Amino acid sequence: MMKPGLILSLFATLIFLLIGFSLATAYEYSSGLDHFSGKKGIIKIAGGTAHIPVMKEAARKIMRMNPDISITIAGGGSGVGIKQVGEGLVDIGNSGRKATDDEIRRYGLKMFKFAIDGIAVILNPENPYVKMNSQQLMDIFSGKINSWETMGWEKRGINVYTRDASSGTRKIFWKKALNKANITKTANFIQSNGAMKSAISLDPYGIGYISAGHIDRTVTAVSLNGVAPSIDNVRKGSYKIARGLYMNTRGEPEGLTKLFIDYILSREGQEIAGAKGFIPIK
Amino acid sequence: MNKTVEYGIIFFSWISGVILIGTIGGLLFFLLYKAVPSINIPLIFGKIRPIDALLLRKEVLDGLFPAISGTLLLVSASIIWAVPLGISAGVYMAEYSSPKQKICFNLLLDILAGIPSIVVGLFGFTLAIILHKYLSERICPSFLISSIALSALILPYIVRATEQSIESTPFSIKTTCILLGGSKLQNIIHVLIPYNISGIISGIILAAGRCAEDTAVIMLTGVVAMAGLPSSIFSGYEALPFYIFYISSNFSSQEELATGFGASIILLILCAFLFTIAFIIKQKVATRFAGHT
Amino acid sequence: MQPFTEKCVEKGLLLSTILSGSITLCILFFMVIFSLPLFEGGQIDQFIRLEWNPYEGDFGILPMMVGTGLIAFLALVIAVPFGLGCSALISVFAHGNFSSLLRKIVELMTGIPTVIYGFAALFLLVPMIREIFQRGTGMCILSASIMLAILILPTIILFMSDALNSVPKSYLDAADALGATSAQKLIYVMIPSAWSGMISGLILATGRVVGDTLIALMIAGNAIQVPKSLSDSGRTLTSHIALIIASDYESLEFKSIFLCGLILFIYTTLTVFGLRLFRYLKIIGDR
Repeated sequence: MMKPGLILSLFATLIFLLIGFSLATAYEYSSGLDHFSGKKGIIKIAGGTAHIPVMKEAARKIMRMNPDISITIAGGGSGVGIKQVGEGLVDIGNSGRKATDDEIRRYGLKMFKFAIDGIAVILNPENPYVKMNSQQLMDIFSGKINSWETMGWEKRGINVYTRDASSGTRKIFWKKALNKANITKTANFIQSNGAMKSAISLDPYGIGYISAGHIDRTVTAVSLNGVAPSIDNVRKGSYKIARGLYMNTRGEPEGLTKLFIDYILSREGQEIAGAKGFIPIK
Repeated sequence: MNKTVEYGIIFFSWISGVILIGTIGGLLFFLLYKAVPSINIPLIFGKIRPIDALLLRKEVLDGLFPAISGTLLLVSASIIWAVPLGISAGVYMAEYSSPKQKICFNLLLDILAGIPSIVVGLFGFTLAIILHKYLSERICPSFLISSIALSALILPYIVRATEQSIESTPFSIKTTCILLGGSKLQNIIHVLIPYNISGIISGIILAAGRCAEDTAVIMLTGVVAMAGLPSSIFSGYEALPFYIFYISSNFSSQEELATGFGASIILLILCAFLFTIAFIIKQKVATRFAGHT
Repeated sequence: MQPFTEKCVEKGLLLSTILSGSITLCILFFMVIFSLPLFEGGQIDQFIRLEWNPYEGDFGILPMMVGTGLIAFLALVIAVPFGLGCSALISVFAHGNFSSLLRKIVELMTGIPTVIYGFAALFLLVPMIREIFQRGTGMCILSASIMLAILILPTIILFMSDALNSVPKSYLDAADALGATSAQKLIYVMIPSAWSGMISGLILATGRVVGDTLIALMIAGNAIQVPKSLSDSGRTLTSHIALIIASDYESLEFKSIFLCGLILFIYTTLTVFGLRLFRYLKIIGDR
């Protein structure tokens, strides 16, 4: 028979643990979605396609918790995001590149970086060539090397896929990976990161580039100059082709927009960013 | 013409028919086959119970319900804009217009009917930007602009349907009211329109089908990848054809792609349904004409 | 009813008609106004060029015009023979219930949404073309032309079938009396009599092919080049508008899509005028 004192202390510890646990979970809740309760309104988001998975997940969580809030998300690319938020057509304009000084001045933009993302060169899983150096990359994209035979594979043409002019992914890739070299005129134009992934996964002889966060089993990422575009390498800085993911607003954000931006920058939001394959800022 | 050539022609005709039916049949079977894994209640309603979604108690965020409702709402709104305008114009063209006016307006409407839908979309987009800059900050590419642009797209169909049915009313029917002392307007309201109502309605339903399937116009005037149900006419919305277009290039898993096929089947059923109703109504018109001179 | 009410209603209806007609003029107005800066700046010749590279100031839309023309031409080349064959089948060689069943199927086909053709083609046709040609991505002008041909085939068949059906019965009876077989009747009597209706249908179908956006957008590849072979990627005026709409709208790049819109508008107008002229000439010729 145990001493009553022992039972009492065990019981007290249990109570303490329970209280502590519920306090902890309550705290977690209030730092996230609770801020949205009781609010009503619409948030319009457009722009970079790399951001869409994170935006969609955050929007789902918020709208599930509070059906009075409506969040619409459109793509279009970084250029569209900046332009539309600047003209007041949307509340938050996403961009995968920093807005230029000209754009900031013209629209009075405020930028909020919420994640870092690498840009990886991708190939179809059937393609054995997963290592390349910068010169080969530039030659392939400019059309100088136009057959996989040169790279040691089958005698088939290299199908280059690139993004449209509004894309931030494209701008950074062109600047950092291609050193501003030309992209061949025969390249196929794709409209978003998701579309690029689908296109490459369906074409064994294709080569393209996407946001590293979008990489999954349907495509293979290429190691450039011996460095793979893994999350660790981007974080360490050894994989140099990376960019920040920004949310932009015209002037200081207010009301629901401010709450949304705070949510993305909060622990929950950053967890979502991490889960989707990006590197959280915090 | 010798026998070989003759048989060749007949053979070619039959082969063409077979190829046509085979191609379309193959296409449809392919879609059905790929869509089968995904056709179930969660395809449309996601994780929410259908009752809650239909009574608007809860938002559906991972099903096709917003896209389907968006399309249905859009079609209704466009019809509301286009029908009064279209029927009035059709009546005027059939009954009141002078030959010169007829030539002029027919020309304009034929051009409108032939304009590529993307140009109509471009028009809608520009309209939105202009209204946004000079009228009100609240106006931007949205449900409202899309429905106006779509109504511009389907207007010629409704005008033509009204004009043609009224003009082809048998002479005896057209003139009875006048002979009895009625005015032109009374003739129109009490005789011509009721007599031709099925022709006009079948034209409207065909126009509705055109609205439901259009993608180019809505792409430029406000449809977005994710929006839930449209919260107001000034907000973005989802639509079925755009969902299919979007998924075709942005799918991240085979399951998501299967939903695209499922959406295709739903869109096909919707268009087939509208088309069949218009067809049945047209048949009624045809049998009615059989009895008159 | 009072004459005053009548007058009012008549004026009201006139207003509706004017409003409807003015939509067309509005569209023309917008296209012209927004592409005017291009004409004024004397930069119009800049657009009829082969180079498209906005970062370097090249805005040539010639590749897109060639793309539209090539894809439309190819689609017609594929569709017309089969259209003729099928319409002959429906109107001449097949009989009774089977013929009307075929016709009903074709009518139903006209209601299939374009996006579904594009979607199915992406996963069915594109890999096939890639394997057959052993080069390219499969997303090329040939794939787009094939799908467009399938798209307009029902329309062409219906037009041709109507034209064949409207041959005066006396002609057919005369041919029968002379002992002509069906095929002979078709070639020597029906087609010569109905060819104007068929040509009208063809002109309208061409208009539809030139104006289609989605199929070209989804499966033609959208490369900015003049396609040199069937398996090359290309871009049409319509998909160019859809792709560029997403960029900066103060720039010359954006204004170029209004030029594309203007070209398409002019093309439509020419088509409508052409059809009317054709019908008018036919009437004159018949007299």
